[in-house]
Formats: sequence, C-alpha cells, structure tokens
Amino acid sequence: MPDLATTDANTSASAFPVVSFDICETYVSFLKNEELSPPLAAILALSKLIETSDAGTMLELVKALNEGAGALKASTSNPISLNAGCELFIAFVTLLPHDSASFSDLKLELVRQGQKYAAEALTYRDKIASLALGFIKDDSVILTHSYSRVVMKTLLRAHERKRISVYVTEARPRGLGLRTYEELTAAGIPCTVVLDSAVSYVMDKVDFVLVGSEAVVESGGLINAVGSNQIAIIAQAANIPFYALAESYKFHRLFPLSQYDLPTHTSNILSFPLSSGGNVTSPPTAGGIKSLHEKSTNAGCIRQMTPEQIACNPGVDYTRPDLITLVFSDVGSLTPEGVSQYVVGMFAG
Amino acid sequence: MSATATITMSALPSKSTIKLAPAQSHAEASSSQAQNQPPKSQKQMTKTERREQQERQRAAKAATKAAGPQPSGSNQNSAQVKKGAPPAASTSASVKKGGKGPDGKPTKDTKETTSDDSARGLRIFSHFGLPKPPGPSKGDIHPAIIRLGLQFSEFKIVGANARCISTLTAFKTVIQDYVTPPNNTLSRHLLTHLSPQITHLVSARPMSVTMGNAIRELKLEISGSDIDLPEQDAKNLLCQKIDDYISERITIADQVIQETAGTKIKDGDVILTYARSSVVEQVLVGAWDDGKQFSVVVVDSRPMLEGKKLLSVLSAMGIPCTYLLLPSIGSVITEVSTVLVGAHSLHSNGAVFSRAGTALVAMMAKQHSVPVVVCCETYKFAETIQLDSFTKNELAPAGDIFSSFPLTRSKDTLTLNKQLNLEILNPLYDLTPPSSITAVVTEVGVIPPSSISSIPLALGRTTL
Repeated sequence: MPDLATTDANTSASAFPVVSFDICETYVSFLKNEELSPPLAAILALSKLIETSDAGTMLELVKALNEGAGALKASTSNPISLNAGCELFIAFVTLLPHDSASFSDLKLELVRQGQKYAAEALTYRDKIASLALGFIKDDSVILTHSYSRVVMKTLLRAHERKRISVYVTEARPRGLGLRTYEELTAAGIPCTVVLDSAVSYVMDKVDFVLVGSEAVVESGGLINAVGSNQIAIIAQAANIPFYALAESYKFHRLFPLSQYDLPTHTSNILSFPLSSGGNVTSPPTAGGIKSLHEKSTNAGCIRQMTPEQIACNPGVDYTRPDLITLVFSDVGSLTPEGVSQYVVGMFAG
Repeated sequence: MSATATITMSALPSKSTIKLAPAQSHAEASSSQAQNQPPKSQKQMTKTERREQQERQRAAKAATKAAGPQPSGSNQNSAQVKKGAPPAASTSASVKKGGKGPDGKPTKDTKETTSDDSARGLRIFSHFGLPKPPGPSKGDIHPAIIRLGLQFSEFKIVGANARCISTLTAFKTVIQDYVTPPNNTLSRHLLTHLSPQITHLVSARPMSVTMGNAIRELKLEISGSDIDLPEQDAKNLLCQKIDDYISERITIADQVIQETAGTKIKDGDVILTYARSSVVEQVLVGAWDDGKQFSVVVVDSRPMLEGKKLLSVLSAMGIPCTYLLLPSIGSVITEVSTVLVGAHSLHSNGAVFSRAGTALVAMMAKQHSVPVVVCCETYKFAETIQLDSFTKNELAPAGDIFSSFPLTRSKDTLTLNKQLNLEILNPLYDLTPPSSITAVVTEVGVIPPSSISSIPLALGRTTL
C-alpha cells in the first residue's frame, strides 16, 4: 500500500492524459519483473488503473479500462499477448457478480482479485511443467525455439529426474535461442544451438518439439516468435509431435485467417523496396542497400542484415491448429479443438 | 346427345334406365324379386349379372373398334358405373380411356409411357420424392399460409432467412385470427390447429432447418403459455415472442455478424462469394459503408442464377464487381484473398449445408490456401450430423421457373425438358465438409468448424 501512495502522489488522477501515461509507465515497470509475462503485467497495470480511477459507475470504469487497454496496445508493436491479458481482465470485471455494498468496495474487490490472479498465475508455469513432465521420456531429444520461460521451467524440471538433451534454434534476429543455450548449459543439460535454416536437417533426430507461446488463439492455433510455424510444418512432415506450452491467460479471442491477418502484420513487412530515386514509402530501405554495399566491401566474411532489412521481417507468426499436437496449459492438456471450445466457453459465458 | 339416338337395340333398355338412375337408390332390392324374368331391365339385375352384361358389352366393343358408337358406349358405361359396384368403375374407366377412338388410341399409349416414366422416376435421389405443385388444401388452411405455400412452391421466396421470417410472420397472422374453441385451452389446441398449416407448407416445399428450429421454438412457447391468461393477451404474448425471436436470432445476429466479418475485410481485398446469401450481402454492404475499399467476385450457377440479384445490389452501391459462372472459378481463384459464403444450416460435425456449388467453391479455395469464411447465425444450427449431400436434399422442380430476365425466345425452348431417356436432376443444396472451411462467423464469435458443437455451450443452453 505505501508504494501505491507514492505513485499516487505523482499523478493527478483526474486528468486523462496523465492517467494513460501512467498506465504505460506502470506496465513497463511491472514488466521489469522477470517472472511477469506481458499479459500479467497488463492485468496488474489495469488493476492499478482501477485503484487510481475516480469512476463512479461500472460503465465509466469499463470505459476507463478500455481506454487504458487501448493506450497499452498503441504503445507497443506487438500487442497480441498483452491484449489477451487486457481482454481477460475486462471480461472478468464485467462478468463479476456485484454483491458489494458500494462502488468503492467493488473497486477494491476488483483490484484485490486482479492482484490475486496475478500472484496465482505465477504458479501456472509450475503446473504446466508437471503436466508436460509425463510426456517427456527418459533420454529424449527435444527441439525448442527461441527463449520461453515456461519451456525453461519444464526442461529444468525434467532434468531433475530424467536425461534430456536439447536442440535450440538461434531465433534470429533477436537471438534469444542463445540465451536458452546459456541457461540450459549452466544447469548441466546438453544443449546445441542450430541455425534456423537447419531445423529440417535436425528434425529426424528429435523426439518431439516443445515451444512456448505468446498467445493461443480462438482457432486453436499458436502465435509465437517467427519460425514456430516453419518448425511445426517440418515436424508434421516428419511425424514428430509438436507441443505448445501456454498459460491460460494467453488464450485470446483473435481468429487469424492467415499469416497476414495478424495485428502485427503491417504494410511495411515483406514490402519490396522501391527504386532508390524518389519514393514515398521507404527511404530507410534505400539507405539499407547502400550500407550493405559498404559492409560487403569492408568485412568480406560474414554478412549481416541491416536493421532496416530486419524491420521488413515479422516478429511473430501464426501456426495453424492442425499442425499442433497438444497444448499444455494450467487448465489441462488440450487438443487444439479443445482450446477453441474452452475459449468460446470462457468469453461467451 | 344425338349419338345416343344411334344406340343399338340391345342397349335400349339401358337408355331408359339412365333416366331412371337418379331416382333409384337401391336397385338390388327390386332386382332380387325379378331374378327370373327375361329380358331383365338393368334395375332388376343383380350386381353380378350387371357386371356380366358389362363384360359382354365391353368385349363386343373391343371387337368392333370404330369411331361412332364408342363415345356413346362409354357414356352408357359411365352411367351404369354410377350405380354399379366399384370393380365396374375401374373397368369402365379403362374403357373410357380406350374408348376415345383413333385419337384415343395414341393417347392411351402415351399415357402408359408417362405412367411408366413416373414409376421409374429418378433412380438416384428418388428418396426425395418429386417436387409437385401444392395440391388442393385439405382442412382449414389459413389464406396467409396458402399464399405462403404458393410463394414457396414457385420459388418467389428463397433463402433460409427469408423463408423463416415469412413463415413466422404468416404464423403471427394465423395466431391472431385463431379463436380457441369452447372447452379447450389455447396452449393445447393451437398446436393442433397449426399442424395442418405446417403440413401444407411442407407439401409446398420441404421445410428448411431454419423454419424447423423456429417452429420448434414457437411450439415450445405455445405449450408453455399460461392457461389463465385471457385469450387476446396470450395471443399478443405469442406474437411478441415471435417478434423477439426474429429480432434476436436473425436481425441483431446479422448485425453482429456484419461487424465481426467486416473486420476480416481489409483495403485492397478481393472477396469471392457464391450465389446470394442475405448475410454476406449485409457484410459486404456494411464494410463498403465503413469506407473499406475492396472488390467482389460473384460466382453464380444455373438454374437459379441468384447471384444476379446480389450483383445488382452491390454494383448499385459502387462496389467493383466481377461476375462469372461456377465452371470458370479456377481462373480467378488465385486472385482472391477471402471467400465469404452463407449457409442454409450448420451441423454438429462442422459441415455446412448450403446452396449447391458452395462445396466446390470452398474446396477450390482451400486448395489455393484462400481462407473460407462462412457467415451463419446460430439459429441455423442443426443437431444432426450430415456426412454427404444426398441423404438429405431437395430437388428443384423441372422447367425454368427462375429466370426473370426478358428472353427473345420462349423459356421452353431454352430449358431442358424431360424426354424418354433423359431425367433432369437439380439438387438445390450440397454439403461442404469441415476440412474445407477455415472459420464460421456467428453472433457468438468466430468459431473453427471443429468446435461447432460448442455453440449451444456458448449460448448457455444444453440444446438449441
């Protein structure tokens, strides 16, 4: 409570721009906690919004929450997972039976519930780890992609009792696979980093694929770091099971019809650069071509993509439900069809 | 009646009996007394003797097949038949047919062939029965229902939503005009009153799943109506419930679907649609009104050519449209970004029952990785499972009743007609398997076809 008072002292709660500024800052400060994933941070930020809000009725409160959620979404280029958290919390607020005496009591109750949920949600990763443990046999060779906290927990848990070895993809451009490599090696698990392009080369040596998720969508499909779809397609072609680990607050009402139906797909991605003389859209790309020429004359051995070129590439992709074998979640191990039934039930009720 | 003047001598007694026939009600009574008096008059003969006489006369006629006496002979026989036994009726009927003379002879032959034809019928799809015009209405059918039946059978009202709404509106009129007979309650008797109306509609055209669901809800409401309510209040309440049903499950549901599906349409998209779905039309019109820039490909097929109506609506709004027939869909499918289709009904296994041709469009789209989106309200959900298109379907009536455009030649010359060795087969619906569908947009959300069975759960009830 005291730390809340200090933050309150810094804000004038009545002015709208200050509140929305507040929420983005709050969200970022919550994200600093390593354990919190974006949806949870969003839920906590929204609970903070309720505390500082001066809304007098439910309608005003929901409106303020929606505005806060909108501000959060606008502040980042990949709003999918935090959107899942926002929607979940707002649905919870609207559906909560009102048995409190006064509105301020209700607000306190909502805040309390929000914080309770966030605290409980931190235990979800352990639940998922124990659930997935049953599917990991002794001497398994596992392929994973990029870095995921829930996958890390599962692998470390498995290592306590079984022998496992892990291939991890580099996951360019952010290179988070290298972080996975470091942590696994530090724990004593044999680990090798494979190139993103070598996944099909390594697939026949793998027993199953284990990935984390940014969001699980209404179709039962998966949104995760770019490269997951490729791995899923190769796994299906090689008849290797593809398991996704996702906490239930990552279930989202989104339904992408294709890769390009994602909110993260902008017109910039996969766009062709126009000729360097006089164009409207991409002066940076023109600059990129120049810098590439420079680099090739300088270094000679390894070429790197320029930041502008990387900006033309997506950060996440969508894996279709028919490529996924099972989704392990704190509500149980679900088939992709089961996921959509759960999401429909959760949001429509 | 100059022909009767040429009657042979043997038939003379019967001529007199013709005049006496109406006056005689029980000829057998008098004839039993006069059994042994030759020559007997008709009224004095027993049934068997009269039959024998008819057989002899018929044999005589068959032997002397000439133009003249035959019409009169058939007149005689038909008169005799009126007081004769039922077997006599059938023989004279066949004689009448044969007794049409030389012009009658070929008539008889063609009649035989056509009766053979209908007996053979369609070898496949014969389990649907042949479409027939609505017969004379039996029982007390309300004029609104008769009008509706006629509109259905002539395909003036088509489309699952339109048929359901018009049915419910007609039933509102029926309910308002209904008067509970004494010693009866509205909740029980109204159901029996509605049954022949429903049967009449079904005989005009087989009931759609939407009509079936709506009528089931209506019957539920009727049987649950309060006995203590005064009749007019009960009727008003039922009409109110019908209005609520239409508004909630059709009108408002369509608006929600329009908004949801509208988010799937982006600037620069090429949307392909098949035939005419009222929901898809609303979605496209709504998206255009929202300012999105897209173009539409309307795929159409004979015999109904419903796409023309959709085309006229869309192009009147200024939407760039392309119109083509189903066989040419392969040439445009690579340019299409999304396929939007409507549905007649949605089944538990995720299959979509829709206008014949939809399955082809969906499969072609899936082959080219084009997402297929079905727009469908939840009241179209049928609890049954359907695996193919021919266990349950409907045949369009023969002949061309659908074209409304002016023709330089008469319609009959342009349509295929049934001939001796040619049967016309026009199923109206087909089944799109769930594997060809990407998503189903309903008013409860966007649902993948594998989870269609969770729709009742989403609506918060165990059955729909």
